[in-house]
Amino acid sequence: MFKISQDFAPPFKLIAPFFILGSLFYLFSSLYLFSFSVDDFSFADPKVISFAHLFLLGFVMMIIFGAMAQLVPVVLEVGHFGVELFYAIWPLLLIGTLLMVFGFLYSSALLPYGGVVVLTSMMIFVGEIFLTIAKVKKLTLVMSSVLISNTFLFFGIIFGLLMALSYAGTISVDISSLLKAHIFAVLGGYISITIMGLSIVLIPMFTLSHSFSLRPLEISISLMSVTVVLAILASFFHLEWLSIISYILAIVAMLVYAYLIYIIYRIRPRKENDIYAISLMFSYSSLLVSIIVALLYFVVGKENYLLASMWLLFFGFFGFLITGHIYKIIPFLVWFERFSPLVGKQKIPMLVDMIPQKSSQAQFIFCALGVSLVAIAILFNSNALIGAGASFLVMGALAFIRSVLYMINFKN
Amino acid sequence: MAMFTKDEIFQAVSTVVDPEVGFNLVEMGLIYDASSDDEGNVKVTMTLSTRACPLHQMILQWVKEAIEKLPNVKEIDIEVVWEPAWNISMADDNVKKALGA
Repeated sequence: MFKISQDFAPPFKLIAPFFILGSLFYLFSSLYLFSFSVDDFSFADPKVISFAHLFLLGFVMMIIFGAMAQLVPVVLEVGHFGVELFYAIWPLLLIGTLLMVFGFLYSSALLPYGGVVVLTSMMIFVGEIFLTIAKVKKLTLVMSSVLISNTFLFFGIIFGLLMALSYAGTISVDISSLLKAHIFAVLGGYISITIMGLSIVLIPMFTLSHSFSLRPLEISISLMSVTVVLAILASFFHLEWLSIISYILAIVAMLVYAYLIYIIYRIRPRKENDIYAISLMFSYSSLLVSIIVALLYFVVGKENYLLASMWLLFFGFFGFLITGHIYKIIPFLVWFERFSPLVGKQKIPMLVDMIPQKSSQAQFIFCALGVSLVAIAILFNSNALIGAGASFLVMGALAFIRSVLYMINFKN
Repeated sequence: MAMFTKDEIFQAVSTVVDPEVGFNLVEMGLIYDASSDDEGNVKVTMTLSTRACPLHQMILQWVKEAIEKLPNVKEIDIEVVWEPAWNISMADDNVKKALGA
């Protein structure tokens, strides 16, 4: 008999809280939009900072961490060092996120506590990933991307904690020096490089694409890594010219990566436009529009262009990339746990049967409308459009939660 | 004299379906070769659509269980190879058509 291990599919009860909390935070972030008016459209506004942390920590990081519990062994081709550590990660991330969100809004005294709790959660995550990587005998490009991205996360959260301590008056550091370093290390260094590496494993796996060169991935990961280092140096030494170089390199890195995704899309044998495919199409389209709007910012110089670009990056690119993959990851884990032992013994569902068609389509349509309307609202300073976009996003988020719960509770 | 023909082994393995794409492993073109000796020992050479397949171990188990249903089968040796790498041209026409390839 072959020994069937769960190395490549950890128990679903370990991962489920990440996905349930992540989808709830997606709803909270959508609801939060109702509190915005055009007067708040500034990167320095505490409401914007609080919102960014609610979405990035509560939704993006929560779901990425949960997904990594399953994806890391798949990508690294070895079992976790200690997958049980993930039981400690989500409660800490939940508490830390709430403390930081309320800290930015109501009391900066909460920020050091939130920062330390988030730091602890992420240190456990990064430590577990590093110890798992240590088991790998030979690093491939994708495995290296996991190592690089988690190294940047390590520094990104250290910068974040220092800023949180400074906000609260516990220590005195130059927040403006750390801000760009924090943003680039987390957004460019961790989230973007993680997406680059994992998507090149996952998208071909689901689309059955083969025989494409990984050279563009090498270039995009290398460029983004150099970008983050330059941005950190520019931030610390207040070198504006170096900042501009890093912005340009970041855009080039994302364009090269987008080109590779286009190649994979073009050669894909699996041409069905299911919820996964259309989510990814919207996601990568948002990335391209986000880049165009960012370029316009350099021409026009108005801050709302940069905010609109960030919005499209967060809710458009990250958001749809994550929700699209949720429709693949949750059915697989539930199927593995609930139905795989029944293979050959009774009729069991295929993974596609576990995806709720109506709520997934509703989620896609409402969220796509919401993201587009809010982007226009930010660009043209329209309070009415923010409300309209938020309404669509809340409807979409509710449909998303319904889909997640349906897949988790799926019975044949 | 082989106890089972290649077709008989392929027929047995064709009961194993990839839950992600919904096609069996034989029509996907994932089973490269199969043979048996006169004592009922079976050898299967196969691949997977991706090295990072999270169902790797489980699919091998299903293939083994499917072959065990053949009468008087003894040892089953399943070799997973990555060369030649699988691509959609190895799949049956009905798979290509259904996927839109």
